Amino acid sequence: MNKRLLTIDDEESIQIVIKFGINMVAGWEVLSASGGRMGIDTAQRELPDAILLDVMMPEMDGIATFKELQANPMTAGIPVIFLTAKAQTAERKQFNDLGVSGVITKPFNSLDLPDRISKILNW
Amino acid sequence: MTENPVPRAQTATELPQDAPAKYLRQRQGVELFAEISFKIRQSLQLKEILRTIVTEVQQVLQADRVLIYQVLPDGTGTPISEAVLPAYPAILGMEFPEEVFPLEYQQLYAQGRVRAVSDLSDPTAEVADCLVEFVKQFGVKAKLIVPILHSISVHPPRKSPPKNAIWGLLIAHQCDRPRKWADFELELMQQLADQISIALAQGELWGQLEEVVAERTAELQAVNLSLQQEIIERQQIEIALRQSEEQLRLITNALPVLIAYVDDRECYQFNNQAYTDWLGKSLGTIHGSPMRQVWGEDCYRRMQPHINNALAGNVVTYENEIQLHDGTTRSISVSYIPHIDNEERIGGFFALTSDITDRKAIERMKDEFISVVSHELRTPLTSLHSALKILATGRLGVLPKDGQQFLAMADENTERLVRLVNSVLDLQRIESGAVTMEKQACTATELMVQAVDAMQAMAQQHEITLVNQPMDIQLWVDADYIVQALTNLISNAIKFSSPGGKVWLTVEHQEQPPILLQKSQKSTKAKALKVAASPSPPICVLFKLRDEGQGIPDLKLETIFERFQQVDSSDSRKKGGTGLGLTICRKIIEQHGGKIWVDSTVGVGSIFSFTLPVIENY
Repeated sequence: MNKRLLTIDDEESIQIVIKFGINMVAGWEVLSASGGRMGIDTAQRELPDAILLDVMMPEMDGIATFKELQANPMTAGIPVIFLTAKAQTAERKQFNDLGVSGVITKPFNSLDLPDRISKILNW
Repeated sequence: MTENPVPRAQTATELPQDAPAKYLRQRQGVELFAEISFKIRQSLQLKEILRTIVTEVQQVLQADRVLIYQVLPDGTGTPISEAVLPAYPAILGMEFPEEVFPLEYQQLYAQGRVRAVSDLSDPTAEVADCLVEFVKQFGVKAKLIVPILHSISVHPPRKSPPKNAIWGLLIAHQCDRPRKWADFELELMQQLADQISIALAQGELWGQLEEVVAERTAELQAVNLSLQQEIIERQQIEIALRQSEEQLRLITNALPVLIAYVDDRECYQFNNQAYTDWLGKSLGTIHGSPMRQVWGEDCYRRMQPHINNALAGNVVTYENEIQLHDGTTRSISVSYIPHIDNEERIGGFFALTSDITDRKAIERMKDEFISVVSHELRTPLTSLHSALKILATGRLGVLPKDGQQFLAMADENTERLVRLVNSVLDLQRIESGAVTMEKQACTATELMVQAVDAMQAMAQQHEITLVNQPMDIQLWVDADYIVQALTNLISNAIKFSSPGGKVWLTVEHQEQPPILLQKSQKSTKAKALKVAASPSPPICVLFKLRDEGQGIPDLKLETIFERFQQVDSSDSRKKGGTGLGLTICRKIIEQHGGKIWVDSTVGVGSIFSFTLPVIENY
């Protein structure tokens, strides 16, 4: 099953390894955005199957981006997985309370991502 | 005796106009007697009394010489008081030989003999010839002698009775002519002699009294001297004490920490200057005041359990926040050391408080720094890690064998770096208290199965058999962290076991939490008291992880839980460890109120054990 994902992360190298790894393992299409605003626009335009959203970003962080995506009926239904360097139970609980589909902690191996995403989203 | 010896006041008016000189002298005699008796009772100065007597008697009797002769114990004698007309030689102070007054005479006088001789030259007078010759040299023609006896009635008990009943003689001489002595003259002399006896007795008594007084005075002076000595010694001790206290104050006041002694009623008995500097209260105000009053209700509430603990005999160390008199808030580290006296009673405790605000600020900065650095490291590590993994797939081109080796090395070390960053961050979070253990009800079985499952792949890779022997014991713990501790321990056990070996994970109930010597701060006695006082010992759960690995040398047993303290420094490189795993385990277990330790025999294997308290309410 071919999927279309959107990665929102301000680090270009992260965008590249995610895109490359997922593509290499699962052959899924990966779109990239380097900030929250651009990510929301891309999501509205492209309506991906899932969004990988970095929490710590300058200007508009992951949480604000997520809330805006949720507020928009067009994008509210797209499952979002947070990418975060913070792995604390309390933080994970806070993310879950927001209504995100899952959390993947950095550092991760991008080759493992299709498997982990499939598990989180029950694909 | 026809005359009344008791003196009677008679005035001149009562006397007939033509009263002969005899009556006048008789009256003078009576007055003299009254006066002398009065003087004797008033005065204790014997010499003065005797002088008065001889002078007055000489005048009243109109004798030429009146003297008092003292008989000395050896039979000799000497006139000790004399009134004599200038025409005749004075015999005062002359020493008379015994022959002058031989013993038989003395005895006669002692029996009360009175001798009145009208004319010494008259042979019928029965005066020994030698005596007549002797007194002639002083021109004596007639004499009147009455004995002065030792008075018995006035005497206090004597140390030894006098050898002789006679003390001396009262003698009147007539030198210009023979003289017939009148009866009243004789009586007057006798009565005066009696009065002299009384005076003598009084004098002796006085002398004895003076002796006693002198003795007592000497005793008092000796006591006084020793008292003065003692006072000096005490003053010296006091000075030494004051100096020692001043020195103590000097030292304690120079230290920028709070130093105090608190009694068992929680009242301050000693405070150094820092109390005034910090709290703005005078030492006088603080001294004797209860801690509750000095620190205020709010702060005291935080201190109270620690105070109780110290007064129960335990050494206590804790951190607190206080507000100084200038309104600033400070972080403090407080230590209470119980004061246990010789009779094992807890009299109070010593309190040491230091300002750790700066240290805390630095710790916070360090924590923040570690946190930021490890977060910031994660993003580039993700890229690096993923990039290497992608390269390793060979899908982007196959590297030569050497190239593949280098790639594997880069990949391996990236993973190690990832683990290190994770561990550093974990440890920093636990140590800084940034994480609170989110405790929930779970069973030991759940935790053990989860940990063993997670490590199964690694065990297989190392050809190690994991033997799990779980039990359904209810726990109240942060499951994620306990699983992390278990996986850390299992991972270690696998790494340090030889292929084909076994690792056992077991759990059991434990009646008493183990007391680890190096962890114990309490005195043995206090501990004994404490254990005896608790009605039912708390129950805990004991987890054990046993391996058949290389074992740990004794020297390393204590330090193995310190960060970066591996048995062999090359271990971390060989085994891919971070050197932080056991430190993290210890922190996790301690955060749960448990203890962790290791028993090991080199070449046989190790048993890592830890306890977790079971809280029955949950």
